[in-house]
Amino acid sequence: MNNSRWRLVAVSLSFIGWLASCSILGGEASPEPLFSVPQGFPEPTYDLSKNPLTNDGVALGKKLFYDGILSRDGSISCGECHNQSHAFTHHGHGFSHGIDDQEGTRNAQPLVNLAWQDSFFWDGGVFDLDLFSIAPIENPLEMDEKIGNVLQKLRTHKDYPRLFKKAYGTEEITTERFLKALSQFLVTLVSANAKYDQYLAGKAQLTADETAGLQLFKDKGCASCHSGVLFTDHSFRSNGLLPEYTDDLGRYRITENPQDKNKFKVPTLRNIEVTYPYMHDGRFLNLEGVLEHYAGGVKETGNLDPLLKQNGRFGIAMTKEEQQKIIAFLKTLTDQEFLTNPRFAAP
Amino acid sequence: MALAVSVVLVSCSKDEEISPNDKNAVILEFDNYVGNEKLVLDTKTYKNAANEDFTVTTLNYFVSNIVLKKADGTEVKFPNQYFLVRQADTKSLNVTLKDVPAGDYTSLSYVIGVDSLKSTSDVSQRTGVLDPASYGTDNMYWSWNSGYIFFKLEGNSSVATTPTKKFQFHVGGFGGMNSATANNLRTVTVSFGTTSAQVRKDVAPTVHLITDVLQTFSQGVSIAKTSVVMNPAASKPIVDGYTKMFKVDHIHNDKM
Repeated sequence: MNNSRWRLVAVSLSFIGWLASCSILGGEASPEPLFSVPQGFPEPTYDLSKNPLTNDGVALGKKLFYDGILSRDGSISCGECHNQSHAFTHHGHGFSHGIDDQEGTRNAQPLVNLAWQDSFFWDGGVFDLDLFSIAPIENPLEMDEKIGNVLQKLRTHKDYPRLFKKAYGTEEITTERFLKALSQFLVTLVSANAKYDQYLAGKAQLTADETAGLQLFKDKGCASCHSGVLFTDHSFRSNGLLPEYTDDLGRYRITENPQDKNKFKVPTLRNIEVTYPYMHDGRFLNLEGVLEHYAGGVKETGNLDPLLKQNGRFGIAMTKEEQQKIIAFLKTLTDQEFLTNPRFAAP
Repeated sequence: MALAVSVVLVSCSKDEEISPNDKNAVILEFDNYVGNEKLVLDTKTYKNAANEDFTVTTLNYFVSNIVLKKADGTEVKFPNQYFLVRQADTKSLNVTLKDVPAGDYTSLSYVIGVDSLKSTSDVSQRTGVLDPASYGTDNMYWSWNSGYIFFKLEGNSSVATTPTKKFQFHVGGFGGMNSATANNLRTVTVSFGTTSAQVRKDVAPTVHLITDVLQTFSQGVSIAKTSVVMNPAASKPIVDGYTKMFKVDHIHNDKM
């Protein structure tokens, strides 16, 4: 399906939502569509036909996302570890702090362009966005709650039955409605208006360093894995990190295939400037540390990606200056509109 | 064809007439035992093949894709019906198949677990026993590795290596969505022996299955060696064991 058709779908959806919101509430129409496929983006992986976005559905999902009611003791919401200003990561935390101030075992991933992902988490253990939210809710180190309890709490809440009715027509609160409302909000978290996007659209110019960085990003092979407009090929690879302070073996935990030991999901680089610290265990504090790793810190992990051991050498040959230029380019992927858009903001 | 089959059926049944439209239920009764002793949760201590003592606090398993077979090889399938047998819930031990066409059935097969199609389906397809919200702390769904727990056996043992002396066997693994992973789906076929299950207008047979939980340990599984199993690939000996645990003890063909 081509992009223009998707845009048409998105626009019609938002129009329907607009009509609904006007007729029921007499409210003001949102000028932006709830979801649209940005110029140059591929067709989304998420099947919107199974969960058509509506204004009330997205609003419900957003309320749930920012509500501690999803956790055992009411203290932790999704937004606690997924802050908008940091592309929905946990502002500077290597491991996120969950309930009872317990630390998790992995760096919280950004919630960006999820409609294009075919697997979730660093190990890809979940393959459907609608099933994704169950994991942090039920993880004893994160929200430590059971979906059944969450639904019970929502059913007896003073607002939620009414909000579910607005979104779905009746007050019934089911697993499907709950999870799909969260998905509706998550799907709207699209980042596609960074300086780099404006450059592609001919609306902005890159500086000399940024231009050189973009060229190096391609020439040095970064773009082989962090590919396309999504800046990830969604694969699982070992980038030369040996376990240091966790025994996390990544994708192996899911597939139990020895060839998947130490492999992790290639993350998107969109908004990478604000999602520090980096890697699955948050071991690198800044982008300089990441680039130094690729230049000189890559280790044989048993399954080291072939792209990182070419010509008898581990890692990627890069001078300090080249690393700085690549970082300059990476910062053009920061999307201020996304990071500050009130549609996504905590209430 | 339907007519031909019914003619054969009519001519074969000596005692009564079977009308082609007659239907009734078949009840599968899962009567869980440990060896020769009836399974009692929590309080009773048993011994496995490795001579390890254990109690059972939880025994749950999914039964799906049930097929009833007649002597002539024809089958009646029950697609899209999923049952969770939970020892703690007496009602769940009786699985009722509705609207089974009248006839003489001689064997039964079913899958222990939730097939890959259902395991990868949209959340709208996950209702009833497949709802991830079901059963609270005793749920049968892995949130971190999307999939159902097909079989769950938990209890206490003096040889368990966990601090609480608890052992936990959680078996899942439907073969994987994005990559091939362990597939622990197994089809069990049980013969009814010399008695057939005779479904009639006024007969809803009960197939009384006796399961032997000890079979779970029969393929070299030891609580002392592995007290906690939650990885599909590591579960294979457990799966090979519990697949053997089902036998039909007898069949009731009582008139209603």
